Amino acid sequence: MQTFTGLVSVLLVFLWLGGNLVSPLRPICDLRVLDHFVREARDSEVIMRGCRGGCGAMKSYFVPLTSVDFAVLEHMDVNGQAVEVQTGLSLLDQALSNAMKTVSNSPLANALDNNISNIHSLGQILHSLDLQARSTVLPDDSAPASTQTQEVSSLPELLQVQSSFLRGKVRLLLSAAPACQRQNS
Amino acid sequence: MTKMSDRLKIVFMLCLAFVTTGGQHFESKVAQLLQDETEDIKCFVELKDLTCFWEEEEERNNLQYTFTYSYENKNKMACVVSSLSLLASNKTVFFCKLPKTPFFTTLDVQVFRDGRMLYSRSLNAENYLFLDPPRNLTVLSSGKEGQLNVSWLPPLLKYMDDSMIYEVRYAVEGSNMGKVEVIKVSTMLVLLGLQSDTRYKVWVRVKPDGVAYKGYWSAWTEPVLGVTQPSDLDPLIMVLVLFIGLILCLLSMTVILSHHKFLLKKLWPDIPTPEHKFPGLFTVCKGDFKEWMSQNNSSMWGRSVQVYTEELPSPLEVLSEVSLTSHGTSQREERKPVEEDEEKESERSDSGLTDRWREPPQAHWLMEQLRALQENPQSLSQSLLVQSHDTYVTLNQNSQGDGEREVDDVFEETLPLQTLFTTTGTTSLSTSHSDLGSLQQSSGSGRLSSQSSFEYPNQTWPPKGPGYTYMAVADSGVSMDYSPMSSSRITELGRHRMYTNDYKNEIFLHKWPLFGEHNKSGSESCMGPVW
Repeated sequence: MQTFTGLVSVLLVFLWLGGNLVSPLRPICDLRVLDHFVREARDSEVIMRGCRGGCGAMKSYFVPLTSVDFAVLEHMDVNGQAVEVQTGLSLLDQALSNAMKTVSNSPLANALDNNISNIHSLGQILHSLDLQARSTVLPDDSAPASTQTQEVSSLPELLQVQSSFLRGKVRLLLSAAPACQRQNS
Repeated sequence: MTKMSDRLKIVFMLCLAFVTTGGQHFESKVAQLLQDETEDIKCFVELKDLTCFWEEEEERNNLQYTFTYSYENKNKMACVVSSLSLLASNKTVFFCKLPKTPFFTTLDVQVFRDGRMLYSRSLNAENYLFLDPPRNLTVLSSGKEGQLNVSWLPPLLKYMDDSMIYEVRYAVEGSNMGKVEVIKVSTMLVLLGLQSDTRYKVWVRVKPDGVAYKGYWSAWTEPVLGVTQPSDLDPLIMVLVLFIGLILCLLSMTVILSHHKFLLKKLWPDIPTPEHKFPGLFTVCKGDFKEWMSQNNSSMWGRSVQVYTEELPSPLEVLSEVSLTSHGTSQREERKPVEEDEEKESERSDSGLTDRWREPPQAHWLMEQLRALQENPQSLSQSLLVQSHDTYVTLNQNSQGDGEREVDDVFEETLPLQTLFTTTGTTSLSTSHSDLGSLQQSSGSGRLSSQSSFEYPNQTWPPKGPGYTYMAVADSGVSMDYSPMSSSRITELGRHRMYTNDYKNEIFLHKWPLFGEHNKSGSESCMGPVW
């Protein structure tokens, strides 16, 4: 009997730990991290412009919408923004991974790889700010284009979308994150 | 109804005010981009609204134009075209302000005129921010030397205030040389390394930092003046300087006080006066020696004699005889009648002139001379004034009883010298000449030619008063050269010349305190002709 209760208690502990997959992170509110990612996304665009051969096949990619209307943004809540950003990051991650498969140019491939890892880091940052969407299910390629997505037909366009998305929606979300607001005030 | 109209009016006025405030900067931005931007259709974002404009030279109506824009594969949207006349450059500009500007997406803008596409451009709106200059620029003294605190307000843009970069320009008022400081995000800056107590002009402008947003530099703000603090000395240094200064003052005071007598003597030397030797001469008799002499009796004489005996000997100038017979008469013509007596006066030897005199004969002779002078009061007054500074020394081989011996002594510079005292210092030079004339001529071989002896009078003497007779004698020594007498004498005199040159001034100044008024320069001038 005693061993049984002991086991149960141990199990409960494990379940509780399992509930929290990752230990809570300190909120990363410094936007210079994001600025670094933005610069690296811009570097990919530059490399793309100078790429001659092995620069990826013409392929359509589903990418998030990047446009920001400040008037609309003011009325939007943070969680809504967080969902939008999370979804968009997932889309970009997928698209970039698909694109990298067709790229043989090594500088470009390295740049793309860099961008992908940056997007993963952004996910962590959002998680630290408690803004990560609960549902992390990524839509597959065959999923219909939602109102929040658009289609691009080339890698340069994809990179441009990535750059705009990071500078716009992601940045605005991070600057508006409540966890960072509490720190500042 | 009236309420509605009033409300409408208020709204209209507010809108107008809003537009005009935007218009102040708007026109200047348009003007600037007209110059700087190379694109045909120029676009900038002001207060989160994108404005695109183009220039038209010909007279056109704005209704002729059609402005469309689209983004993210959406349908084209139209924008109303307006016209603006720039007063400064007298140009007409057509522009369109997008009502809802999408950021972080590619905008496709097109301009049509009469159905034909005029301009086309694709751009991201967040890359063309054209901000207004910062507001409320304040420049204050920071309380420290050479520093100024500069602060301002950021542009009124939400979501963008952390993406700004500022440029602060400052220059001394009136100077064209300015420095620029770049500062990111922060709206405050401390200017360092400035001159103290100087007026500075400060300007600020702003631009997006280029990471998330890009754009053009804003216009400079209006200059704001600030004054730096005047340099103040560190109080510790001040105290130390004062303390050291005080110590130095005390030291110098101590030195001065301890040696004040010496310093006073050096800076303000006493003019020696013979007053203490001649009591009452200046106070009672007003310098009248005759009167004083008459007042005083033998005690005075003894004292004066004693004075002379106290004199240290000075080198003896050996001269040849001076034949004064002919020239003495000629000189008499020049002389004052009073001086005739002087010629006859027996000379008094000057003990101070020679260091080879034997004291007893000197004193004895002196006494004789004095007695002789006493018998002739007239000449006395003129010749026995101690303060006279002329002393003519002549050699007179026959004047003394022991002339033979003295002749030898002459060669050894030991001949007794006869001195003539001239009249007071106020006498003219001619007087001295006459005194020269009174030189007794020796009958010896060393006779000075009368001509030569009176070369002096022919020369110009300085009107300061007669110099030393010594000098006169020395000159007459020159004339000695002309005489066909012994060369040995000449050489000796040459030596004397040397002596006169060397000893002259010093001896008379040191050894003759009574004759302090002797004119040194007079003696020097006397030396001139000698050489």
